Amino acid sequence: MASSATFTTLVLSSSFATQCNISNLHHQSSLFPPPKSPLFSFSKPLSLKLTPSSLLPKAPAFSPIPKSSQSNAAVVDVEPDNVEPEPEFEAVVESEPEPEPEPAQVVEASKEEPKREEIFAVVMIGGRQYIVFPGRYLYTQRLKGANVNDKIVLNKVLLVGTKTTTYIGKPVVTNAAVHAVVEEQGLNPKVVVFKYKKKKNYRRNIGHRQPNTRIRITGITGYQDYPAVTLNS
Amino acid sequence: MNKKEILKLAKGFRGRAKNCIRIARERVEKALQYSYRDRRNKKRDMRSLWIQRINAGTRQHGVNYGNFMHGLIKENIQLNRKVLSEISMHEPYSFKALVDISRSAFPGNKNVVLPTRKVNVSSINV
Repeated sequence: MASSATFTTLVLSSSFATQCNISNLHHQSSLFPPPKSPLFSFSKPLSLKLTPSSLLPKAPAFSPIPKSSQSNAAVVDVEPDNVEPEPEFEAVVESEPEPEPEPAQVVEASKEEPKREEIFAVVMIGGRQYIVFPGRYLYTQRLKGANVNDKIVLNKVLLVGTKTTTYIGKPVVTNAAVHAVVEEQGLNPKVVVFKYKKKKNYRRNIGHRQPNTRIRITGITGYQDYPAVTLNS
Repeated sequence: MNKKEILKLAKGFRGRAKNCIRIARERVEKALQYSYRDRRNKKRDMRSLWIQRINAGTRQHGVNYGNFMHGLIKENIQLNRKVLSEISMHEPYSFKALVDISRSAFPGNKNVVLPTRKVNVSSINV
């Protein structure tokens, strides 16, 4: 995991070096010492091969930072965000680095989408579990009998998390519901299934498109009365 | 598949395999066989990656992967490894809550040593 993080930070450093004219080489080299997770979380959209998680294909309302580094202005915005956590890091190394990207990402969200609720849920659909945010879309297995623009309520909610509390279901958070709207019933991209046995003259070439459904999550409700784990700080 | 489709699938191959149909056909067939096999291997690799990540996350809190999963099963928490690894990366406080629940359900971690905080040599000002 360390090697992949350094690979992605090297990719980031090359894109920064070409884009920004501020290039204080000394300054840049101090930005990319052994892997820091704020950079790792920013570079996550670049490293698409690492996880096929359902987080990646969603269209986030706030654009991930590497894609916005097309203009120098955007790069200047990013640089102070990267510089600020740095002196704190030198004082206490390897302390909780995860809270640092959360304020930066919350600031990004508040600039563009002021009304987003800070909540997520883990829901089970079609035998698979997905981490779900209100306002984002999701591809799931084809839901039979659902037409476009149908409202759907998903009841198998395994975990709900807000900024300060977590509701962990055993196995399900009772009375919690995730509301969603069916957007589209389509097909996955084509996969070529090629079967071949050598020296036996056996070759089968089949194309396959798995049906899927795109749903957009509108809200998460009903979790308030469940026993929760609250954050102390 | 006719020649045009084969050469389209052979983009990015090395040497004559991307240009000449006789060589390209062999290489494309091999590539398709590999993709069939690897669609099954990907599921195994991903699960192994998730387990490594969960292990790393729980060891930061003094619990190893085996005891953590045993505790979750005892508490009837049915989150799968994919979601657990995502939570361990992006939602540290929720993950800590899960680790605490597991630790109280199955306290079997007398021998796990918390990782010592290593100071980065380059950050020391001499």
